[in-house]
Amino acid sequence: MITLGIDVGSIFTKAVLLNDQRLLATAIRETSGTIATETAALIDLVVSRGEISRKDLETITSTGQGEELVKEADYLEDDVVCLAAATRHFLPDTELTLEIGGQSITSVLSTPGGDVANYMRNDKCASGTGRFIEVIGSALGVKMEEFDETVSRAAKRVAVSTQCAVFAESEIISHVNAGEAVPDIIAGVCESTASIIISQALRSGPVVSYTVTGGVALFTSITGILQEKLTGAYNPFPIDPRYAAAFGAALLGQQE
Amino acid sequence: MFYGGIDVGSLTAQAVVLKEDTIYAFKSISVKPNPVDSAAEVIGKSLQEKNLTLKDLSFCVSTGYGREQIQKEGLAGENISEISCHGKGAWWILPRVRTIIDIGGQDAKVIRVDRDGELVNFVMNDKCAAGTGRFLDVMSKTLGVSVEEIGPLSFNSRQTIEMSSRCSIFCETEVHHYLQRGAQLADLAAGINKTMSGRVMALVRRVGVEKEVTMTGGVAKNPAVRRELEKEMGLKMLTYNLDSQLVGALGAALIARRLAGESL
Repeated sequence: MITLGIDVGSIFTKAVLLNDQRLLATAIRETSGTIATETAALIDLVVSRGEISRKDLETITSTGQGEELVKEADYLEDDVVCLAAATRHFLPDTELTLEIGGQSITSVLSTPGGDVANYMRNDKCASGTGRFIEVIGSALGVKMEEFDETVSRAAKRVAVSTQCAVFAESEIISHVNAGEAVPDIIAGVCESTASIIISQALRSGPVVSYTVTGGVALFTSITGILQEKLTGAYNPFPIDPRYAAAFGAALLGQQE
Repeated sequence: MFYGGIDVGSLTAQAVVLKEDTIYAFKSISVKPNPVDSAAEVIGKSLQEKNLTLKDLSFCVSTGYGREQIQKEGLAGENISEISCHGKGAWWILPRVRTIIDIGGQDAKVIRVDRDGELVNFVMNDKCAAGTGRFLDVMSKTLGVSVEEIGPLSFNSRQTIEMSSRCSIFCETEVHHYLQRGAQLADLAAGINKTMSGRVMALVRRVGVEKEVTMTGGVAKNPAVRRELEKEMGLKMLTYNLDSQLVGALGAALIARRLAGESL
C-alpha cells in the first residue's frame, strides 16, 4: 500500500512516500504564503522521486500547522500523533520525542505501547526554536549550515544569559564588541538553546529515553549538549529528523 | 543647594538637577557603550547649562544600568534601584498616584507606592522583549515607520489587525506576511499597540491597580498604548508636564536631597 504524508510546518513543508513501511522518497520545500498551490508540486515531486504512478498512491495524510491547506489530503492527523507513530515505528523503546521545529518545541511522551501519553508545546516564544538560532546566526553572519563546523572551532562557551531572541541578539553583539570569538559565542548560543529544550523536556518528568526530531535535530552542536546534560538514553532518529511527522502521517494513512 | 539624579537606561540617559524644591536643569542623551561615560556626559551637560560643576552638587544619586559603577567612579554618592526612583519621581509630580506603569527600552515595571511615595510592591519583566519598548522598536522598523509614529498612526486605523502571537520575532514574521498581502499600516500599528498593551496588562494584573495611575518611561509617549491600557483598566491615567523619560532621574535627585539632609 503506497501512502503519502505531508507536514506543513511554519518554515518548511515536508513530504514522505511509503510503500507499506518502506521509505520510497522524501521531498522538502520552504513553506510560502501560497502553500495551497505549492503542495501539489511537492506531491508530484515526491511521487516522481519514488518512481511510482500517481494512481498507485492510495492515501494522502496531512499534518502540521498548515495541514488544512493541503487540498489533496484524504485525512488530517494531529502532528503529536504523527510524531508518536514515527517514534513507535523506528524506536519502539523510546519514551520521549522532542520535536524542535522552526517556531515551536513539542515534547511527546509515549506509553510503552507507543501511544501518546502526554505532550507539551511551546509555540508562543521563539526561544529554543529554529527561529532563535536563525536570528542569532544572522546577527553573527553565520549561516545555519555552518553552525556545527563553527562550534567545532570553539575554545569555550560564552554564556548567553537571556532567553528572549530579541534580547539575546543584543547580548551577543555586546559579546562581539567585548572581543569574544564568534565560534565561542555560537557555542554559548547552542548551550543556551539546549537548556531551553531541556527545561521543556523535563516538564513531563525525568527523561528515561528520548529522541530528537525537527530541523534543530540536525545540529549536532545542540544534540551533543542535550546528551551531555540529559541523563536519559539518547536514541538518534534514524532518518532525516525533519521528516518525522510526515513519516508518521504516511504510516497513519495506511491504517485508515 | 543643588541635588543631582542620573538615570542610565538601555537607549537614553537622563539627569535632573534640583535646586531646593524645583527642577533647575535637566538633560537627556543617547547612551554611550559604557554607562559611566553616559552618566558623566549627561550630568555634565545639565550642570554646564547653568554654569555649575559636579562640585556644586550637595549630593547625587545614580540609578538604572551601571548605577553601582557610576557611584564607584565618584559621579554619585549613592545608587538606588530604578524602581524606587520612578516611584518617588512620579509621586512627587502627582502626590495622589499609587500605581506607576514604567515602560523602558528593555523592560516594563508596574510599581505600587504608598501615600508617602515609598515602594509597596512591584512586578517587572526584563526577560522577554514583548511588552517593552524593544517590541515597539522592532515592530516599527518592520512597518518602516519611526517608533514615535507608531502610536499616532494607529488612530487612522479602521480595522485593527490583531497579532496571533506575542513574541516579537513571531509578530515580525506575521506583520511581513500582512504587508505582502497589502494590509494597511495603520491597521497593523493598531494591532501592534494592542498586543503591546496586552503584555503590559498581564503585569498590571499581577500587582493590581490602585488609583491614581500614571505612566513613566519612553513608551508613555505612545498615545495608542496609553489609550488601550486605560480601556483595559477602565480608568483615566494622570498626565503631567514633564518628559516621561525624566521621571527616574527626578526620583534619584529627590532621594539625593533626602540623603543629603540625613547626612547633615
